[in-house]
Amino acid sequence: MITYLVRRLLAAAGVLVLVALLTYWIFFALSPDPAVMICGKTCTPDRIDQIRATLGVDQPFMTQFFTFLGGIFMGRTYGSGEGAIECAAPCLGFSFQTNQSVLDMIAERMPVSITIAVGAAILWLLIGVSAGVISAVKQGSWWDKAAMMVALSGISLPNYFIALVLQYVLVVELQILPFPSTPAFGEDPLFWFQSYIMPWSILAFGYASLYARLTRANMIDTLGENFVRTARAKGLSSMLVLRRHALRPSLTPIVTMFGMDFAGLLGGALITETVFGLNGVGKMTSDAISKNDQPVIMGVTLMAALFVIVGNIIVDVLYTTLDPRVRTKVA
Amino acid sequence: MSMLPVGLMAETGEVTAEEGGGTGPNRGRSTTLRRVTTAMLASPAAMLSALFIVLIVLVAIAAPLLVKLSGWDPFQYDDTAINADLGGLPNLPWGGVSAEHWFGVEPQSGRDVFARIVYGARVSLSIAFSAAAITTVVGVVLGMLAGFLGGWVDQVISRIMDFLMAFPSLIFMIALLSALPAGNRPVLLVVVLCIFGWPYTARVIRGQTMSLAQREFVEAAQASGASKSAIVFKEILPNLTGTIIVLVTLAVPSYIGTEAALSFLGVGVVPPTPSWGQMIATAVPWYATDPMFFFVPGLFLFLTVLSFTVFGDHLSRAIDTGETSK
Amino acid sequence: MKNLDAAGSNSLLEVADLEVSFASSAGIATVVQGISFTVARNETVGIVGESGSGKSMTSLAIMGLLPPKAKTTGSIKLHGEEILGASERHMRKLRGNRMAMVFQDPLSSLNPYYTVGMQIAEAYKAHRGGSMRAAKLVAVDAMGRVGISDPQRRVDSYPHQFSGGMRQRIMIAMAMCCEPDLLIADEPTTALDVTVQAQILELMSQLQNESGTGMLFITHDLAVVSQVSQRVLVMNKGKVVESGTTEDVFSTPQDPYTQALLDAIPRIDDPIRALKKVEMGMVSEA
Repeated sequence: MITYLVRRLLAAAGVLVLVALLTYWIFFALSPDPAVMICGKTCTPDRIDQIRATLGVDQPFMTQFFTFLGGIFMGRTYGSGEGAIECAAPCLGFSFQTNQSVLDMIAERMPVSITIAVGAAILWLLIGVSAGVISAVKQGSWWDKAAMMVALSGISLPNYFIALVLQYVLVVELQILPFPSTPAFGEDPLFWFQSYIMPWSILAFGYASLYARLTRANMIDTLGENFVRTARAKGLSSMLVLRRHALRPSLTPIVTMFGMDFAGLLGGALITETVFGLNGVGKMTSDAISKNDQPVIMGVTLMAALFVIVGNIIVDVLYTTLDPRVRTKVA
Repeated sequence: MSMLPVGLMAETGEVTAEEGGGTGPNRGRSTTLRRVTTAMLASPAAMLSALFIVLIVLVAIAAPLLVKLSGWDPFQYDDTAINADLGGLPNLPWGGVSAEHWFGVEPQSGRDVFARIVYGARVSLSIAFSAAAITTVVGVVLGMLAGFLGGWVDQVISRIMDFLMAFPSLIFMIALLSALPAGNRPVLLVVVLCIFGWPYTARVIRGQTMSLAQREFVEAAQASGASKSAIVFKEILPNLTGTIIVLVTLAVPSYIGTEAALSFLGVGVVPPTPSWGQMIATAVPWYATDPMFFFVPGLFLFLTVLSFTVFGDHLSRAIDTGETSK
Repeated sequence: MKNLDAAGSNSLLEVADLEVSFASSAGIATVVQGISFTVARNETVGIVGESGSGKSMTSLAIMGLLPPKAKTTGSIKLHGEEILGASERHMRKLRGNRMAMVFQDPLSSLNPYYTVGMQIAEAYKAHRGGSMRAAKLVAVDAMGRVGISDPQRRVDSYPHQFSGGMRQRIMIAMAMCCEPDLLIADEPTTALDVTVQAQILELMSQLQNESGTGMLFITHDLAVVSQVSQRVLVMNKGKVVESGTTEDVFSTPQDPYTQALLDAIPRIDDPIRALKKVEMGMVSEA
């Protein structure tokens, strides 16, 4: 188990370096000169050279890349002398547009993204999985048909579209909810809940639809398994057959998917945050993209990759406790 | 979500058995086709979605013709249809729907929404179809190679697939598209969709190839001295047809959705070329004052994605069991 | 067709005019067409037939485990009590308790997520109640009785950690833990190696001798059926084409289908004779 974990972590580190290299190379090779952009309109060649030196973009590609990597472990200093900017380890880069280290920017907005992700995850797991289970058990019933129809719309409707429709109906027309925002929980829990409920629901709708469909399909497969027949042949109650023998095999793959989806969301619910104007990591990313703030895009990409890769490892380790067959193989 | 990885993953998860109930290489091919066709024809939902798909494809192809009929091209401004005093809102209610402008006009510019929807279909569909075609070819070839050859070939391909699938692909697609020079946006979109899309096809194909490779008719072909490429193309590929068709049908809506999302976020198709996602983005500031303008592209996007998904669902079921009601 | 009611009224299981059919869009497929037989205590009755002959459907019908869309008519009596059409609640009390079943493929018939001990114990607990701990002790005992060595330790192992023969022993332990009156074995040795097959068959007859359980043994393998059963039914296309004592059926087969089946067995005393092809009789099982 320990060797397995060590191996996985080493592989993950390798993948992360690869992601970093790839992202860095794309920006290095393809983007317009960041110095020109920072310099603005009143620019002289001298000034550009100076900015280039500060940014380190006058160096060859590999040197730049290793400076960046080094910054993550040891921190780095942009420029020298009076105007030098310190970026402490782990330095994910520095945004010259906001004059902030990328890590600080992410840390500042992380609570909002986590709140959105956790709330939505609770909703979609509860609704998606239970709807899928009920549909599978009552296959062909009106409930099944209705639930699957809703799920079908859920995966076909662009969430930015329903987000605005919902906002129009509930906030503008009916005025039963405030415009979504990101208040602190402590001050007014009810207002906090009302502000977040729409982003949660919109985000959860798509995922819940997906999970309902997948749970239903898994569950129907499992109910056809021989061991479910054995369980019935033993004289177990149908509730017990369902709960003990059918549910666990059906939900194990869902756990994997959930781990990956949730980890992905920690990198920011980009669309939902942007549409509702919630100041999380996702909104920050989309702002950075529109302003072409490369260090931020780079930093967020790396951090999102880190979440997904770590999520992947956690899910795999979890799997070894959930599925005895995998456990035997790993141990 | 409509993002490609999650969406496609769940869909393909349901594609399990290959066609023909696994009787043999070519036995029952025509009966399978007939069985599937009968099942599809018997399902109103499948037929309705097929009808809509055909309609939207025809609209996309005949866009220039349709625009001539309606009288407005997608880039043409119509100052008479909008009211400058109201901030450029359409003169008429319901987003300016009239005999002149069938789906209304764009606020401020007065451009014809019908023409932009029709041309948007052209852009969205050609991007999605191209991406689906390329990812299918790449995914099928690499998936079969990995599944049939195994060994280090499988190792390399599988690791690349894991790498791409464990990637925060939406953020990366956005980063990539924002870093790339403007150039030909639709082509860039296809490239980006393909980079992250093919593993989802390849993974399913790999799994099925692995199980097919162990079947009697493949062993028989091997024993009779058939070359590896002959086995792959004459024995395995024909048995994957059903799966491939289902994968393509389900890949198309996921690419339409992803393209729309990217265009919505401003890194996809750039104005003045219309695309549905971008039209929704343009309509965001107007959603409260001119809901129709916001609603029309959303509806078309929804119906198109829904139709492909429903059709793919039914097709996959018909190929699996011969019945569309499951 | 000869009547098999030799055992008369003290039969454990009486099946009369059993018919099972499935309605599909293609029409109604009748997979079991009015069969009748009995099984007495301490007796083994074999049902032979190829796949699709309706023999497995018969066993599932007795257990009440057919899918809901199957239509069943006729009569199935256990200890003289009609159980065809009995409530699910009542059937649940019988299943695993008065009548139990062993299936063909022990690996897929055991839940990979739970220990074998737990899976045996829950069968016991469902009918005898008590704590899971007490039931676990019964499981250890049952595993020992079916010849699994070191049952105290193996009780906490998972199905995939056993060999095929051992898994089938576990299935048998599970079926026998409530000492059922009737054991239905549906191709219990088909998935096993020949040497393991013999061991399992021996185990089953040993357990039968100890407990006096009546057994319905379903197989396509004539050699197996001749070893274990006192009486045999030959099924083809959902009908019983021949029945009688195993000796009679094997020595003087009356029905051409039975003759063909028997002819298809290669014999040591007649090595040169070419294998004859059995006319395939398939029933479209929806």
